[in-house]
Amino acid sequence: MNARQPTTSLPPVVGAYRVIPLIQEGASASVHSAVAGAEIQESLGLPGALVENWHDKAIERLGQLVKQRRGLRVFLDTCTRCGACTDKCHYFLGTHDPKNMPVARQDLMRSVYRRYFTVVGRYLPWLVGARDLDESMLDDWYTYFHQCSECRRCTVYCPKGIDTSEVTMAGREILASIGLGQQYSQEIISKVRRVGNNLGMKPRALADVLENLEEDILDETGVAVRLPLDDEGADMLVVTPSADFFAEPHVDGLIGYAKVLHQAGIRWTFSSTAAEAANFALFSGHHGHLRELAMRIRLAAMDLSVSRITIGECGHAWRVAYSFLDTLVGPLDFLQPGHTRAEHICEVTHQLWCSGVITLDPQRNAGKVVSFHDSCNVARGASMGDRPDGQFTIPRALLAASVPRVVEMSADTTRQKTFCCGGGGGVLTDEMMEVRIKGALPRAQALQAVVRSDQVTHLATICAICKTQLSTVLPQHDLAGVQVTSLHHLVGDALLLS
Amino acid sequence: MPDYPSLPVVSDALIGGLLSAAVAWLLLATLWRMIQWALTPSPLPIVLAPAPRTRAGVLGRLLLELFVFRSLARASMITWLASLAFHYGLLLVLVVHLRFLIVPLPLWLLLFVRVSTWAASFLVLGLAVLLIRRVLIDRLRYISTPSDYLHLLLLLGIALSGAGLKYLWPVDLFATSQFLRGALSFNWQPLPDNAGLWLHLALVILLLLIFPVSKLLHGFGILFSPTFNQRDPNR
Ligand code: SF4
Ligand code: SF4
Repeated sequence: MNARQPTTSLPPVVGAYRVIPLIQEGASASVHSAVAGAEIQESLGLPGALVENWHDKAIERLGQLVKQRRGLRVFLDTCTRCGACTDKCHYFLGTHDPKNMPVARQDLMRSVYRRYFTVVGRYLPWLVGARDLDESMLDDWYTYFHQCSECRRCTVYCPKGIDTSEVTMAGREILASIGLGQQYSQEIISKVRRVGNNLGMKPRALADVLENLEEDILDETGVAVRLPLDDEGADMLVVTPSADFFAEPHVDGLIGYAKVLHQAGIRWTFSSTAAEAANFALFSGHHGHLRELAMRIRLAAMDLSVSRITIGECGHAWRVAYSFLDTLVGPLDFLQPGHTRAEHICEVTHQLWCSGVITLDPQRNAGKVVSFHDSCNVARGASMGDRPDGQFTIPRALLAASVPRVVEMSADTTRQKTFCCGGGGGVLTDEMMEVRIKGALPRAQALQAVVRSDQVTHLATICAICKTQLSTVLPQHDLAGVQVTSLHHLVGDALLLS
Repeated sequence: MPDYPSLPVVSDALIGGLLSAAVAWLLLATLWRMIQWALTPSPLPIVLAPAPRTRAGVLGRLLLELFVFRSLARASMITWLASLAFHYGLLLVLVVHLRFLIVPLPLWLLLFVRVSTWAASFLVLGLAVLLIRRVLIDRLRYISTPSDYLHLLLLLGIALSGAGLKYLWPVDLFATSQFLRGALSFNWQPLPDNAGLWLHLALVILLLLIFPVSKLLHGFGILFSPTFNQRDPNR
């Protein structure tokens, strides 16, 4: 499986607005995510190269997984191939490759499951589309399980509630267990385990970065806003994706959090051992790693004896924190009553704004016309606040309070039905650029419509992956004029700071 | 010399016995599949958000999916309408079949018998639309396996042979009722001599046999789907 060279000079992909394409077999078959090197795999306790008896090992692991995960088993058993999901995946809409239709992606695993684990599939494989796990199937597994961003948009439309991401995750887990891990995710997981964050940034380097940022804020605002690291005695631990520490447009969001917490008079801190909210084990599907990375947050909170945990703007980190943390690392009952789960920075800011602790002045963002991109993992994998749909209403309330004009994109591309940015779930890597650009098509089309009708200037979002991906690929869709921005950048700019 | 039962008696009992066995298989195998699902652990909460925060909310969500096919309505209006027509047509037709089991015919059932032509038309129409789109739409053709077409053809065969019994080859209602009640109470009676009925019954038995080991079980799968049946993880 040869990695493709980054293809940054592709022509713009601007398809006809929301037209369901005809299938084009093999259209994205040549886009492979790079396979993890031996060193990285072995550092994670996994085989360094494809094992000799990969076939038997893979089938054995599949058999274990369907016995361990009810979702996976029910999903493999109950699809009726009704086709409702076939036109709902951004990667299909962008690439036209039929194996990117959610049901076809699942069928890569389902056909093998049927062949080896069901009576009909064993004796009448042709009847039910059961297939051997041969080399070409293995190749398809690797290719197409890495062309899924685990965004779960397909689940919204599936009458059986089938969650393709569970199949994708199981598939990636099996592949890694026979020596075919994905370089991008596995490398990051291994870095977090060794150093504490995705970038492999040492505590000293992190402290320097934070100091520089403090100076920048002081220069710009004249207010001494602090960005503390490992401050024992802090009340609140803030865990944020490490991209927030250095990359544009992320870092402006980080400055936004700091300004809000400063203005509210909350004593808070980052932790050098949990300087990463992201948990790429959700992408690789390895529950052991998922737990291990999540555990750092619990341990850091206990070490610093904080009473609250706040998660920065990161989509899948929020899903892990909101939906899985209790199950993975035990209840966070050592936290302050009323705050016994991890809270989203938007929830925190929203509470402060509602109770009048902070004041936001939209005129400070005069001239900005902003649209909001819901991130998949926040929208479909978690919630916020007191309402079941708080993950939609709270960021929007903050946005509306911070900018003079908000414009919603088409309703079938927002909230629960939001389209993935095209880079989630471990796809955000250079060799996947062709699929990333094409996968962003539906989002880009919806955005183009509001740029034309309402002259939208900014696209706000609350996920590090969305920010990186959209700012990279939107120019490929004739949208270079729209600035992708962190929600807390806008909040921070609107905040009355003293 | 022992007194062997005559051949016709054996074959009568055989067909009734086959139906009894098929019904027993349907119930037991379906139960077994559900037990298997129920016994598989669910390590992480993977409900699809926004998720209900109360048990009543979860129940409501499941009922909407089971009886209104809510998610399908979001996806495709034509598939949704065709599915509703097919499933509810089938349900009504099944209710009408109670006339063979409940003797004498109760008054309420008469109402259903009155609309049975409509029900059967919906059933056939729904199935036909589902089949046509499976053949016409390239995406569906791509994902379909032979069994997907055969399921639809089998159901169409049952529906059409059933309609044939009603309109073309009238069947002795009383004898059919005797046969059916016999099969369900292990007191097997002869099947009336009617080729249409034999065909109808053979297809139904085939359906009963494959139901628990095929995708036709999906209605029960919905109940076990973690994206539907879990609450918000923080409640
Ligand atoms: S919508 Fe669900 S049941 Fe229908 S084809 Fe897709 S995965 Fe299968
Ligand atoms: S989870 Fe998202 S990326 Fe994966 S198949 Fe479904 S819609 Fe496509």
